Amino acid sequence: MINITKLTKIYNSKKVVNELTLEIPKGEIFGLLGPNGAGKSTAIRMLCSIIKPDAGEARIAGFDLFKQQKEIKKNIGYMSQNFGLYAKLSVIENIRFYATLYGVNDEKKIKKLIKTYQIDQYKDYKAGELSGGYKRRLSLVCALIHDPKILFLDEPTAGIDPVTRKELWDLFFQLSAEGKTLFVTTHYMEEAQRCNRVAFLNHGKMVTIGDPKRVKNSLTDTTAYTYEGDFDLKMISLLKASKGVVLVNQFGDIVKILIDKQIDKIELQKIMKPFIKEEFVLKSAEINLEDVFIVMTQKKRS
Amino acid sequence: MNAIKAIFKKELLQLWYDKRLVAFLFFMPLLLLVLFGYALKLEPENVKMAYVDKDHSFFSNLIKTSLWSDGYFQLYEVEDKNDIIEEIRSGRAKAGLLIEKDFSKLLTDNAQPEIDFFVDGTMPSLTTAMKNRSSAMNDDDVTNGMYFLDEDSENVIIAPEPFIKTTQVLFNPDSKETWFFLPGVIGVLLMQVALILAGTAIVREKEKFTLEQIIVSPVTKSQFIIGKMTPYLLISFFEFYFILTIGWLIFDIPLPSSAHLYLFLLSLVYVGSMISLGLLISMISQTQQQAMFLAIFIIIPSILLSGLIFPIEAMSDFIKPIAYLLPFTYFVEIIRGVLIKETLFADLALDYAALFGFTIVFIILSITQFKKYLS
Repeated sequence: MINITKLTKIYNSKKVVNELTLEIPKGEIFGLLGPNGAGKSTAIRMLCSIIKPDAGEARIAGFDLFKQQKEIKKNIGYMSQNFGLYAKLSVIENIRFYATLYGVNDEKKIKKLIKTYQIDQYKDYKAGELSGGYKRRLSLVCALIHDPKILFLDEPTAGIDPVTRKELWDLFFQLSAEGKTLFVTTHYMEEAQRCNRVAFLNHGKMVTIGDPKRVKNSLTDTTAYTYEGDFDLKMISLLKASKGVVLVNQFGDIVKILIDKQIDKIELQKIMKPFIKEEFVLKSAEINLEDVFIVMTQKKRS
Repeated sequence: MNAIKAIFKKELLQLWYDKRLVAFLFFMPLLLLVLFGYALKLEPENVKMAYVDKDHSFFSNLIKTSLWSDGYFQLYEVEDKNDIIEEIRSGRAKAGLLIEKDFSKLLTDNAQPEIDFFVDGTMPSLTTAMKNRSSAMNDDDVTNGMYFLDEDSENVIIAPEPFIKTTQVLFNPDSKETWFFLPGVIGVLLMQVALILAGTAIVREKEKFTLEQIIVSPVTKSQFIIGKMTPYLLISFFEFYFILTIGWLIFDIPLPSSAHLYLFLLSLVYVGSMISLGLLISMISQTQQQAMFLAIFIIIPSILLSGLIFPIEAMSDFIKPIAYLLPFTYFVEIIRGVLIKETLFADLALDYAALFGFTIVFIILSITQFKKYLS
C-alpha cells in the first residue's frame, strides 16, 4: 500500500528525513516512533504531499508521490497532531464542509459515520467546545469521510487521557480490520506495542524496523537490572561512564541499568557499592521498547 | 466548483458566527467616516487674526469687513508688525494682517499697493486653507465697494487693477475639505477592511492548522484561493458602496451621473488590488499578528504619502517613488478626478491600469509565496 525508497527532506542543508525506505502492506497498523524532532511529522507530511520531498521515490496506494498527487489525495486521510478543524463551526458543519470538499455529498453516509464514532449527540456543538477525545473523533470522521484506503495519523493520542486513548485505539483496530492501512506516529511506547510493525526514527534516519516484540528483543547479549533504594547521585554519572553499561535510566529512587557482555552482574555491583550505604540486591528486569529506543538514540548520538 | 462553493460557504459561516467582527465591518467605517467628516474638518473657522491698520481708511475697513464677514477670521487689533509676529508665536493668533499707511492713497493712484498676510506655518493644512481663503477674498469686494463709493462721491477714482495677487482656486472653489478629503477617506476605510479581512484569512488557517487539512484534500491551490477570497471581495465591494452612500447622504459628496460607470470600474480595480494585497500579506505572514502589522505598515504610508493629505508634488524626490508604489495613490487620483473634477476617462486610464497591474502582480506574488510555503 505504501512503498517508499530513500525519501529525503532537507531543511537548511540538514537532512530532516534521511533516506527513509519502507514497505507497508494493506491493513497494517504501522507505527513510526522517535523522539521529538526526529522527523516523524516531516515524514508523514511528505507522504500526505503537504510538503515536497527533496529526493527519493514513493508510491502511495499505487500512485506516484511526485506525479499523481491528486489521486493520492483522494485515497488518503490525514489527521494532524493539531486539531485542524474550524472551532467556530459546529460538528456537523465541519463534517459537511469536508464532505463537499471531497465531493461526497451523502447525508446517509454522514449520519452513519457520526453514529459509528458516537458524536451524533454533539453534532450541533461548536467543534471548539468539544473535549479532547471528541475532537479526535471528529477529526477522524472528517478524515474518513471519503473512505480513504490509507489513514495517516500524526500523534493521534497526544494529550489524551488513557481511557480515551484506548477507545481511540479500538477504533483504529476496527479500521485496520476493515482493510484500511494505518500509518501512525507516536511517543507512547504502550501504543507502539499495539502496532503490527514499528520503525524507529532518530535524527531523520531509520534506526530499526520490525515487529514490536522482535524490536524489543533486538538488544542481544544485554541484560537489565533494577535497583531500588537510596543512593548517592554521583553513582548515575559514574555508571553512565562505565564500560559495558548500555543504559542508565533513573526514575525517582529506581534505577534501571542495562549492561552488555563486557561486564556481569557482580562487576556492576562492585561499581555501585561505594555509593550505597546498605547491603543491596540487583533485580533482573525486562527490557522494554522504551529502553531499546533510548539505547538506539544514544548510539546515534555518540 | 463544489469545492469552491464549500470553501466560500464555510468562510461566510465563520464570519457570520463572529458577530463582533460583522459589527466592526460596518460600524467602524461608519464611525470613522463621521469622525473624519465632522471632527477633522480642515476648513478654518473663527481663526484668530491680529491686525495692524495704519491706513484707517474706507478701503482698509472694507478689507477687514470682508475678512470678518464669512466667519473664517476673528480680527483684533494690535500695535505694530512685531506685535503680529509675537501674537502668532504665542499662539494667541494663527494669522495676521498688516495694512500700511498709504494703502488707500496708492490704491486710488492705481499703484497696486500690497497688504501683508501672516500665517502660522506650523500647521501646514491650516496654512493652505488660509492662503486659499485670503486670496479668495479677492479684490471684487474692494472694487465693488469702490463702485459703490463712486456713486456717492464724484472724487473717487475707480481702481481697475487688483491690489493683491489673486490665486484662483479651481474645482473646489470653497476649498471644502470634506470634498477634498472624504472621497480619499472612503479608500482608507476600504483598505483597512480589505487588508485586515484578506490579510488574516489564510494565515489564520496556517495558525489554526486547518490549512494542512485542506492541503491534504484534493482541493487545488486556485480553488482554495478563489473560494477563500470571493467572500471578502464581495464584502469589500459592498462596503465600498456602503461608505460612499453614507458620504453622499451625510456629507454631500458629489456623485455626478458621469461618475457612475467610472466609480464602478474603480471599485472593481481598487477592491481587487486591496484584496490581492491582503492575500499576499496572508501568504507572507506566519501569524495573524504579523499580518496585522504588515497591514498597518501599508495603511499608514498610504494615508501620508498618497497625496490624500499632502500633495505628492511637494514631496522630496526620494519619497515620490514610494508614493507611486502605493495603490492608494492611484485611488486618490481617480476618485478626486471622477467625483470632483469630472475628469475624462482617458486622463485617468493610466491610474486604472496601475491598479489593475497591482492586482495582477499581487496575485502572482501570492501564488509564488504559496508554492514556497508548501515546499
